[in-house]
Amino acid sequence: MARIHGYTGKALRVDLTDQAYETERITEAEMRGYLGGRGFNAKRLYDEVGAGVDPLGPGNKLIFGTGPLVGTMFPTASRFNVSAKSPHTGILGDSNAGGHFAPEMKFAGYDQMILEGRSPSPVYVYVKDDRVEFRDASAIKGRTVFEADGFIKSELGDRRVQTVICGPAAEKGVRYGGLFANQVRAASRTGMGTVMASKNVKALAVRGTGHVEVAEPEEFERMVLELEQEIRGHEQYPGRMLMGTTRILMMANDAGFLPTRNYTSGVYEDAGMVSGERLAEEYNVKNRGCFACTIPCSRVYSVREGPHKGLHGEGPEYEALGSFTSRIGNNDLELALKAIDLCNQLGLDILTVAGCVGWAMELYEAGELTVKDTGGLELTWGNGKALLTLIRRIADREGFGDVLADGSVEAAERLGRGMERTIQVKGMDLIMADPRGLKGFGLGYAVASRGGDHLRSEPFLELSDDPEIGERMFGIPESTLRLADRGKGRLVSYFEDWNAVIDSLEPCKNIMQNMMLLPFERAAEALEVATGLRVTPEEMREAGARIVTLERMYGVREGVSRVDDSLPPRFRESPLGEGASGGTVVDLDLMLDEYYAERGWDAATGHPTPGTLQRLGLGFAVKDLP
Amino acid sequence: MKRITVKAERCAGCRQCEMVCSFHHTKKFSPETSRVTVIKDDRLGLDYPLMCRQCSECLPLKACPTQAINREGGSITVDWQACIGCGACVEECRHEAMKLHDGKALICDLCGGEPECVARCPTGALSYAEAPEFSETPWDAFNRMKEEWGIHG
Repeated sequence: MARIHGYTGKALRVDLTDQAYETERITEAEMRGYLGGRGFNAKRLYDEVGAGVDPLGPGNKLIFGTGPLVGTMFPTASRFNVSAKSPHTGILGDSNAGGHFAPEMKFAGYDQMILEGRSPSPVYVYVKDDRVEFRDASAIKGRTVFEADGFIKSELGDRRVQTVICGPAAEKGVRYGGLFANQVRAASRTGMGTVMASKNVKALAVRGTGHVEVAEPEEFERMVLELEQEIRGHEQYPGRMLMGTTRILMMANDAGFLPTRNYTSGVYEDAGMVSGERLAEEYNVKNRGCFACTIPCSRVYSVREGPHKGLHGEGPEYEALGSFTSRIGNNDLELALKAIDLCNQLGLDILTVAGCVGWAMELYEAGELTVKDTGGLELTWGNGKALLTLIRRIADREGFGDVLADGSVEAAERLGRGMERTIQVKGMDLIMADPRGLKGFGLGYAVASRGGDHLRSEPFLELSDDPEIGERMFGIPESTLRLADRGKGRLVSYFEDWNAVIDSLEPCKNIMQNMMLLPFERAAEALEVATGLRVTPEEMREAGARIVTLERMYGVREGVSRVDDSLPPRFRESPLGEGASGGTVVDLDLMLDEYYAERGWDAATGHPTPGTLQRLGLGFAVKDLP
Repeated sequence: MKRITVKAERCAGCRQCEMVCSFHHTKKFSPETSRVTVIKDDRLGLDYPLMCRQCSECLPLKACPTQAINREGGSITVDWQACIGCGACVEECRHEAMKLHDGKALICDLCGGEPECVARCPTGALSYAEAPEFSETPWDAFNRMKEEWGIHG
């Protein structure tokens, strides 16, 4: 058999308990079946972390995976997935980030790295090519992400070491502590930092001196040059270079689905004061990019005067910016930047912080929460000072911060009130787009394998509001109308399969999916020229469906069924009052019926059928059906 | 004299230059075989590509004990037959433009006059043209940008 390129073909297994390590082969069947990153991780987690494992116990495993295109000049191929059972939701935990960590894994010789067990003392794990060191981390225990990164690079005396770090919030047991590469590239959803901290590990540091080879260098280069040209010529290029994803804030506001005051409105009257446009004009000083990026859309900002003078950093992206502005009714842009910076240093997932704070503010404004509950904090809409204090208290698990440190569902349970106002699915606090203005997104949140989240599907084509696209691509004109409910099952399953492919090959979804640059056909071609593995576009899509379905089975094994594929009551019952998305609610049942039919899942239970599992090569999971 | 110059304000630190350079020279991808190396400071958000600047006085050339380093056709060259991998050149170069890989010295050869890193830089941080000699170090550039943009710490 010809050698397979692109992949390293190796996984590194690190036993923290005994401070030992070994490498394992990744087989061709695994490559064809699960592609890389997210797919590899889903399979590993399914096989090795079963029902009943405590997410914060030594039986959980923290798995880093990257893809076959990474560590080359393939535009934007820079990303890794990190997966474990989630301490935030109890189901599949999985998060994805860019920066420079993933290519370093490849240069060190690994497609996947598995941390298992629990270290007897605080360590950071240092992987230099085929050698692993368990290094004393007592000096950086409880230190911020930025401080820990500086310490590790200086202790190792190597500025080219790449790190993934958990912050002090994770070490205190906040259930939504994230992991951070290059200090601010956050893989922060589902509590992967909290899992790392539970293993007595502060960071994973990697340095590789090897290389990545591709199967067909000339063809690979041709494809790369073509993609670079298409990216630079794309209509979205100027906006993304100027604003990154923060360009979405005004778009969402104009379309009336910008989550405002904990989703009580889709229009924020002060959006212009906190927009990506304003950030670009008044604060941004330069662009930064992830590894091998043709469209480096991250931005460095600097606050040069006022109460936050001296504040600087990279980003923010739309989700973070919206989280600390419209979502909590705050029109002070600099304060939002300060709050984002604080969360990055403390290692918190911003969407969940904002979900909890927005929820608490709504309760406070409704008189269901008082200063007696909050430890004296007046949680009125937009109270920035209270926000900063509360972020610190969450990270310290102190007072009311402790109540919020497990997510909004746990907080509502502890207080015995406000559950109907939590904005979450399967325990994960939602992102920044109101599904009453984006029905397909709503379906995507309801069925996402990691709980309420858009990145599993992100069916942005419904934003086109162009029925011709829907007719052409899905045979249903309404599928690409954002306020329509019909056709969304087909739209979302298509996009879920596509995103599973992108998350496994590991280029950037913003570019390769949102800009329509890597459809199944081209993804198959990319895999072939990079690795030598020949797959058809149909097989590529089927690999996506296999990954999605196996992740679903991970949830099913933990008890997930149709009743959990839900949305907060306000999205199903109360229309938005104002703006371009007013007057409608989400008909979730109709969309779910369509979706299960598309997937070959049972409509009553939401479980994949045995036949579907067999068809996708997941026969081994049939035994786990209830 | 034609040389590659750097606009540090524009460098986004994506390191595509490293990938393109290693691919051009070896048909494989590796920062270790790239003759350009990007220095990054994630705290400040600043980046700087290091590579040969065609200094009129090339200290590595002077320091090489086997005369393996020469100036030919506008670029510095290394004769790998003569190179003994002692690393004296790496020590001497003020701009950290030389490195050792597999016991041999590496330096930018300007891709024979059409440097690929310049052509492929996504932000135009690199240019190749007639330009005066420049002595700015990454640290000089970082200090300049910090001052200009009010970025400290």
